[in-house]
Amino acid sequence: MFGFLKGLKITFAQLAHKKVTLQYPDVMPNWGERYRGVHKFYAEKCIVCNQCARICPTSCISLSGSKREDKKLHIDTYDINFEICILCDLCTEVCPTEAIQMTDRFELATYSRVDLYKNIYWLDENARKHDGIIESEGRTHAGGEK
Amino acid sequence: MGEIRTEEMLMNIGPQHPSTHGVLRVVVKVDGEIIKEADPVVGYLHRGTEKLAEDLQYTQIIPYTDRMDYLSSMVNNHAIVNAVERAMDLEVPERAEYLRIIVVELNRVMSHLVFLGTYLLDLGAMTPFLYAFADREQVVDFFNRLCGARLTYNYMRVGGVKWDTPDGWLDDVKKFVPYMRSQMGMFHELVTGNEIFLERVKGIGKFDAETALNYAMSGINLRSTGFNWDLRKNKPYSIYDRFDFNVIVGENGDCFDRYMCHMNEIMESLKIVEQALEQIPEGPVMGKVPKILRVPAGEYYSAIEGTRGELGVYIVSEGKDKPYRLKFRRPSFINLQLLPQQLKGQSMANLIAILGAVDIVLGEVDA
Repeated sequence: MFGFLKGLKITFAQLAHKKVTLQYPDVMPNWGERYRGVHKFYAEKCIVCNQCARICPTSCISLSGSKREDKKLHIDTYDINFEICILCDLCTEVCPTEAIQMTDRFELATYSRVDLYKNIYWLDENARKHDGIIESEGRTHAGGEK
Repeated sequence: MGEIRTEEMLMNIGPQHPSTHGVLRVVVKVDGEIIKEADPVVGYLHRGTEKLAEDLQYTQIIPYTDRMDYLSSMVNNHAIVNAVERAMDLEVPERAEYLRIIVVELNRVMSHLVFLGTYLLDLGAMTPFLYAFADREQVVDFFNRLCGARLTYNYMRVGGVKWDTPDGWLDDVKKFVPYMRSQMGMFHELVTGNEIFLERVKGIGKFDAETALNYAMSGINLRSTGFNWDLRKNKPYSIYDRFDFNVIVGENGDCFDRYMCHMNEIMESLKIVEQALEQIPEGPVMGKVPKILRVPAGEYYSAIEGTRGELGVYIVSEGKDKPYRLKFRRPSFINLQLLPQQLKGQSMANLIAILGAVDIVLGEVDA
């Protein structure tokens, strides 16, 4: 009986404490700088070295490039299959030019599995939410073109 | 009036059942309220980690280990990188070693807090779960700031760790240690002295050290029987020999002892974190490692003290950049083996109490 009263005491003491929960869809969490969310791809930085595709444990990255007038390789297509991507960050770790980076976006739910194939346009427009520069919602390139 | 006639009945607990902590199915034969036979069925979460690893380079295996025991990913990371480093005879920078110890011990605290919360939830107490998760959230937040993920950290690399600490991280951890200590006092007051709780766990699910050893049990399940065996002390790996801490052992090997071992181990882990924070040197966090990791041909076994017991990694290498065979000795799976014997003759209500105290994570049981 005594232990039960002790429990009640602690519960009442808790009333004075600050709330620790976040009203999620209304209040977005700030995940910080290192958060490993959905990728952002900088097409102009990519040198088509293929290292990200090779290090990927689930082989979810596929890319292709071609030589242009300046005799350098340029990226043509860059697709990430988010059905199998495990957001492990190894691709950004090996990228020599930091062309592929991770943002703090994490909401990947879609109505169709096809929408989880993200192409170069979608990945290029994707951006960190907390920088507040671009948000790709409502844009036309919604992926699914593969 | 004669005795009530009862009939044996076959019943499935799980695979979708909140108290089996994942997707464990227990087929029980009950006579009224008493369990005659229990048979755990595993494999619902099998993803073939070991088979997948045969096709992956050693760095690529690390994110897969995150998903084995998903409550203590840092510990799993440590197991695989430690095994590869030992096999390749690699040097790890001091600071990286200390960072590893800090995150591994914080992870142990975090994992035991989940045990505390969910175990009490299994037994019907709602409040401790909320308090435990509120405290756990702080550690999750530390890890998020450190490596950018809340559950699947992928933090360690062969030869070091991926990130150095962000600004103020070590100070925040330093502040967290005394806070967590005071919280433990609160938990003891709230739970340990509660008569209903004691009634549910004292003397339940007993086994002795000999049985535990025969079943190759390890971790808290073995130590709760009074057998002193902790790899951090008995076979020190990494830099554990530099820290002063006690190995927590129980007496009776019942559910209450297992609960107390978890609680006291949190305190010991905090002790290690505190010492590591004092000793941590400046310096690089990544050592010199070859670009492509090739483990020399041969067979290697090395184990670390995981959250739930001896977490071993057995590598068979042919000298290539991928293992020929990789075997994880997963403590949850081995600790679960005693369950049928433990459950025999117990009541249905005790099933949950006993299963919860074994502290399994199904990701690790099925791997």
